Amino acid sequence: MGANDYRFDRLKVLVVDDNIHMRKLVTTILQAFGVIQIAEVDSAERAWESLREFNHDVVVLDWVMEGMSGLDFIRMVRTNPQAPNPFVPIIMLTGHTSLDHVRQARDAGVNEFIAKPVSVKTMMSRLVAVIEHPRPYVRTTGYFGPCRRRSAINEYQGPERRVENPKQQAAE
Amino acid sequence: MARKQPIELFMPPNMLKAKVGGGGGGLDLAAMERAEAAMEELQSEFGDWIADDVKTLIAARARYAATPGTDSRAALLRAAHDIKGQAPTFNYPLIARVAASLSRMIGELPGGFPLPLNLIDAHVSAIQVIHKNGMQDTNDKIAQALCAELDARVDEVVADASK
Repeated sequence: MGANDYRFDRLKVLVVDDNIHMRKLVTTILQAFGVIQIAEVDSAERAWESLREFNHDVVVLDWVMEGMSGLDFIRMVRTNPQAPNPFVPIIMLTGHTSLDHVRQARDAGVNEFIAKPVSVKTMMSRLVAVIEHPRPYVRTTGYFGPCRRRSAINEYQGPERRVENPKQQAAE
Repeated sequence: MARKQPIELFMPPNMLKAKVGGGGGGLDLAAMERAEAAMEELQSEFGDWIADDVKTLIAARARYAATPGTDSRAALLRAAHDIKGQAPTFNYPLIARVAASLSRMIGELPGGFPLPLNLIDAHVSAIQVIHKNGMQDTNDKIAQALCAELDARVDEVVADASK
């Protein structure tokens, strides 16, 4: 095996899209990557059932679907106490391409974003991103999900500024 | 007195990395080659897939025309949005452009504002013509003029609605 060869055969991936062709396209790419355990569903409601039953490792999710939207599904996964894994990486695959839509997806708690049309390279890069560069998670009164700023934990590489004032540090 | 910490930032254990391994952090080129080959094989089905999507759009248009309302409008938007996202993959970028214009009109007109059926039909007809004639070249002058005209008409309708 090469340095960048992953055991994708160990992954359980959930593909959520109400369009059968897009599901087949994504599934074909994932299977070629070596993913064996792929569940396909055509709605966010079925995705929730599947997630609770099988606790998938990664979710590839459409945004615009009949019934519950992809955004509402993400919020449910991140905040519902019945979610099996609120940290599950979610890759949103959507025809929405504006910056505002990317912001909305980010604010809902998406990990990675793919604007259609989907390509093999983009799918691989986002999959590798959730494996190799997972984001820290943030919990505030109004949000729970991946940190909306990349590399927030690691971005400051200098010395601890408050070490020089241990009294102040203790007070916090 | 301890200050409240309203923001909790933490790094959960990387279970994915533990599961799939890989050390280089780069793209798995062998897997990508396999996927490109699989996509090539799949291309023979793209003609049927875009035909299905166009049929879905026509049906959604008919439904909205017969029973305009929230549900039929949402179904029309979903049909247009799907084509916008998928048509480039199926080698029909011009269809994607027209579908994007239709999606924009439906998305930007306020919910209570009735969608102009004549402009919906202009979009749907354009998509049918492009599909029927197999127009895949984005440099086609006639197609470009048609797309520009549709964009302009949508701009007008959206501007009028916001007055």
